[in-house]
Amino acid sequence: MLAAVVLIALGQQTDTTVTVPPGARLDVSNPSGSIVVKAWSQKSVRVHADHENADLVQVTLEGSVLRVKTASRRSTPREVSYIISVPAVMPLALSGVKTDIDVDGAQAPVTVETVNGQVNCRGGSGLVSLKSVDGRIAVQQAKGRIEINTVNDDISASDVAGEISASTVSGDIELRNVESSSVEAATVSGEVLYAGSITDGGRYHFATHNGDVTFAVPEKANATISVSTFNGDLDASFPVNLAGANKHRFSFSIGVASGRAARIEIETFNGDIKLRRPAEMDEQSEHNE
Amino acid sequence: MRDQWTDQLSDYVDEELADAERRALDAHLTGCVSCRVLLEELRRVRANARVLPDQAPDRDLWPGIARAIAPGRSARRALAFSVPQLLAAGVALILVSGGAAWIAARRPIQARATAGPAGAPTWGSSPVWRSEAPYAAAIAQLEAALDEGRKSGTLDSATVLALVHSLATIDTAILDARHALAADPASAYLNHHLADTMRRKLDLLRQATAIATPRT
Repeated sequence: MLAAVVLIALGQQTDTTVTVPPGARLDVSNPSGSIVVKAWSQKSVRVHADHENADLVQVTLEGSVLRVKTASRRSTPREVSYIISVPAVMPLALSGVKTDIDVDGAQAPVTVETVNGQVNCRGGSGLVSLKSVDGRIAVQQAKGRIEINTVNDDISASDVAGEISASTVSGDIELRNVESSSVEAATVSGEVLYAGSITDGGRYHFATHNGDVTFAVPEKANATISVSTFNGDLDASFPVNLAGANKHRFSFSIGVASGRAARIEIETFNGDIKLRRPAEMDEQSEHNE
Repeated sequence: MRDQWTDQLSDYVDEELADAERRALDAHLTGCVSCRVLLEELRRVRANARVLPDQAPDRDLWPGIARAIAPGRSARRALAFSVPQLLAAGVALILVSGGAAWIAARRPIQARATAGPAGAPTWGSSPVWRSEAPYAAAIAQLEAALDEGRKSGTLDSATVLALVHSLATIDTAILDARHALAADPASAYLNHHLADTMRRKLDLLRQATAIATPRT
């Protein structure tokens, strides 16, 4: 089904509400400006946009995909600010170039891609993929497979659950209140912090080139931990018994060392590896606030 | 970051992809420079691994690699490594050889004993540089694409600045790792770290190229 609804607005504001079929997906493309998507209790989608006269907002329902797109009579559109209300279970695909993107309250898969812009996502379920190049990414209360990738800024995730992958080049990575059996976090120049669960049989990998790695080890965790640093120290706030060591790598076990123990790898070329108890991390967090 | 294509390259080399997967990857390879370079690198690593002596030198990574390619393993599944593992192993393998050759230039007698029997692959007078040549070629191609994006205006100045800054950050990390490896070529951690950092540069350039290419 093509073009069940087509709307072209020429004014400075566009405001339209579209009824969408169950299972419909939202696809928004906005080269410049902002996209704010909020979940609401209605079964329809409301699109509100602020834009210049020469720019067009196209809202098109194609089958089960509701497309919202910015077009322009000029070669490139100016900034457009979208506020879109959607059913919470509606999957989202949001993209832009110079675009800040916010998602609030989603309970469905979320895909976000921007180049110069910040990404904030509260909620998300299933695949939650958040990408930027030059912009900070923050995610809260998401669950599922969570992929976070930026290049030149920080990443933070809190109150999230599932398989987690976080990557940046120049920026810190902070993961707090995480429930996961699979976490991978890597930066080149920045610090890495993890405070979350360590699940039996889980795999956890944290790496940076320049920066400290701070890792909270729950008291009852069962894990084999391998730490590697070239120019740095291992600093643990509790006793550890080194089982294996070579020039740049140490390993040790905590809790019950068995085949089901979690495997944790922590690496930093220039930086310290700090092992802390969760309570210490909470105290530090409160102190910083 | 890994993607669906790079994850399939190892199986592609081993001819273990289903027909549909192979056709899809073939189609992708026609338009993806970085994947083609990775594929060439995988093939080269496998070819090199097959002619290396089945003798464990006194190095951290080699025993595992030797076990993986030892005769008697499945002939069809010659290497059961993922792409990143293969790249890391390939770079590590060659760097180890490079390290041995570097030592040979400084301490000929001791190094020759380490380098293995005659007939082992040789890596030239600048082994480390040669070992990184495939990466250098890939990086040069991708940097050219990035430059094109910059000239065409697809990438604005702020994005270019961010990418250049991050590329410089990675280059510094690569330089750090190279210097550390020169002092301690047997370190498994340093070998892996250098390979990982170079892979990250490729990933970043691939991402930059994708951004620089106008969408149709």
